Amino acid sequence: MSAFAQPIRTRPGFFKRWQTMGVIGVRMMFHDKLKLVGTLFGVVFAVVLGNFQVGTFMSLLFKNRMFVENAQVDVWVTPPGTRQFQGGTPLNDSQLNRARTVPGVAWAEPLIVQAVQLKLPNGGSEPVSLVGTRAPRFAGGPWNLVSGQTDALLQPDAVIFEDAEREKFGGLNLGSVRELGGHHVQAVGFTWGLLPFAPAYAFAEQTLVREITKQPVDKHTFLVVGAAPGVSKTELRERLQLALPDTRVMTRDEYLSEILKYIVFATQIGFSFGTSTFMGLLVGLITVALSMFSSVVDNMRQFGTLKAIGATMGDLARLLFVQAMVYAVVGSLIGLGMMSALVQGIRNPQLTPILPGVSVAITFGLMIGVCLVASVLALFRLRQLEPAMVFR
Amino acid sequence: MSDQPAVVLKGLTKTYGTGALAFQALKGIDLTVPQGEFMMLVGPSGSGKTTLLSILGCVLTPTSGEAFLFGEPLHGRKESELPDLRLSYIGFIFQGNNLLPALNLEDNVAFPLELRGKSRSEALTEAREVLSAVGLADKMKRHPDDLSGGQRQRVAVARAVAGRPPLILADEPTAALDAETGQQVTQLLKTLSTERGHTVVVVTHDNRIFHYADRTVHIEDGLLVRPPENH
Ligand SMILES: Nc1ncnc2c1ncn2[C@@H]1O[C@H](COP(=O)(O)OP(=O)(O)OP(=O)(O)O)[C@@H](O)[C@H]1O
Ligand SMILES: [Mg+2]
Repeated sequence: MSAFAQPIRTRPGFFKRWQTMGVIGVRMMFHDKLKLVGTLFGVVFAVVLGNFQVGTFMSLLFKNRMFVENAQVDVWVTPPGTRQFQGGTPLNDSQLNRARTVPGVAWAEPLIVQAVQLKLPNGGSEPVSLVGTRAPRFAGGPWNLVSGQTDALLQPDAVIFEDAEREKFGGLNLGSVRELGGHHVQAVGFTWGLLPFAPAYAFAEQTLVREITKQPVDKHTFLVVGAAPGVSKTELRERLQLALPDTRVMTRDEYLSEILKYIVFATQIGFSFGTSTFMGLLVGLITVALSMFSSVVDNMRQFGTLKAIGATMGDLARLLFVQAMVYAVVGSLIGLGMMSALVQGIRNPQLTPILPGVSVAITFGLMIGVCLVASVLALFRLRQLEPAMVFR
Repeated sequence: MSDQPAVVLKGLTKTYGTGALAFQALKGIDLTVPQGEFMMLVGPSGSGKTTLLSILGCVLTPTSGEAFLFGEPLHGRKESELPDLRLSYIGFIFQGNNLLPALNLEDNVAFPLELRGKSRSEALTEAREVLSAVGLADKMKRHPDDLSGGQRQRVAVARAVAGRPPLILADEPTAALDAETGQQVTQLLKTLSTERGHTVVVVTHDNRIFHYADRTVHIEDGLLVRPPENH
């Protein structure tokens, strides 16, 4: 071998290239701490805003669908035009009787839901959504009892209230007596978390509810139907709809998706939540893109040096890619951490954002996407970089 | 390959821009640099020194003529082939501070080795050896911003020679240094390249370092000229 230095023909393998460029990329990020914090702030902002919006929307949806979701009902007969869990023109006894004759119907019960004022010991009053279900089946609730039992509703003047509202209802305890719509009732049990957007649900046997609300015996808010074993719910819904033309009949699942559609499309809610989530993502993208872009521009000389020494465009792409992934993953972790702290912090049955697993997964996916777009933009700037610039 | 000259240039030209803006920076350069030579390229500002060095360094493609590094042609290459040529042949020393401020000294010296496929631990071991050779054994974990200009240029020398690329190219390596430091850095480069068998081309204005050169080549207005007299 000659004493003179010889050409170097060795090159890194696939993994080694990623490692070399990735380590440099991460070192560069941590060298400029201000920019690091700024970029992470953008990602965290997008994550928190996006998840807060989506979480709040989920919570809203959950509240609106809570009753239909939990009442053990297969098919709902509702007033015509019904799109959410809200009564309209009352249904009547002849409709109830007709429903009971439809083949495949195991049982059909009337259900009453009506807002009533609860008189407080201090003289004020609070509204409740009073639900009248029928013994002994109690189709339509109550559910999620934390004290007492459904059968307690068989006692005279018995009502089951929402546990989270006990304070609000003047320190309500088991056995407490209150005036509900001018009627003396007694708390015999408590549910947990039954807080729709409307006033909290309270449950009583239907006969008592009719006394309190003065609802005639032959007028009902909804009719709830159970399917006989082996009967298809959609088929049953079709038959019921034919038998009851002046109503809207939906299976449980249809009713749930109808409420979803209503919230998303018929109200401004879907649009406004969608817009603000989109804005959050946009702000995130712009922050990350600007910051990665300006970090590339500020460090042009360093990238020129890397290129002059022998790094390819592919190597620089690897460097930016690793930076983007670190921004996305670290930012998402911080953001989701803040979100879950927030959700824990305001853990009460009010409008707490819900942070489901999918939303966590989607957050990572979106943030990685956003940061990758930013790194591709930065890479475009680097394409114009002449390695000869290092001599200037 | 080992008996080929380090550099052979024949009728090499470089024109920047096109049409009315076209400017011919190199007008037909013929030059041979044997292996192991420590050559200096001198000439007035704008004469084409950096342009020539950039072509030798495979960061710029010539417009016409032929160029060979150790027998391998550089002319007629695609842009995308150049990075690989640089890794094979070249160690760079730039005028200014072109170290990566985010990396400590050993990482600065190690990364060109890693780009050539050395494992991290091999690269670090060699980086430490070379840094010791340039007298910075006690500063390996420091960052470039903690160093003086002379120390930084010594790191640049270490980075250029690490891995033993056959050709070291330096553009005004002493421009930012005081006279004494400039001499020290040049001396260091000379010693290391002789020991390790590098061919070196240094572009410089600095007549205080001319005496280190095995040969001085003069360029004026894009053409090599016979030196007025021999030193
Ligand atoms: N990218 C470019 N586009 C157009 N003209 C250029 C470009 N680079 C250099 N030139 C011109 O080519 C000529 C040679 O430039 P070069 O940088 O090679 O000179 P130099 O000898 O290194 O000068 P100096 O001693 O000032 O560094 C100059 O006239 C310069 O203006
Ligand atoms: Mg120059």
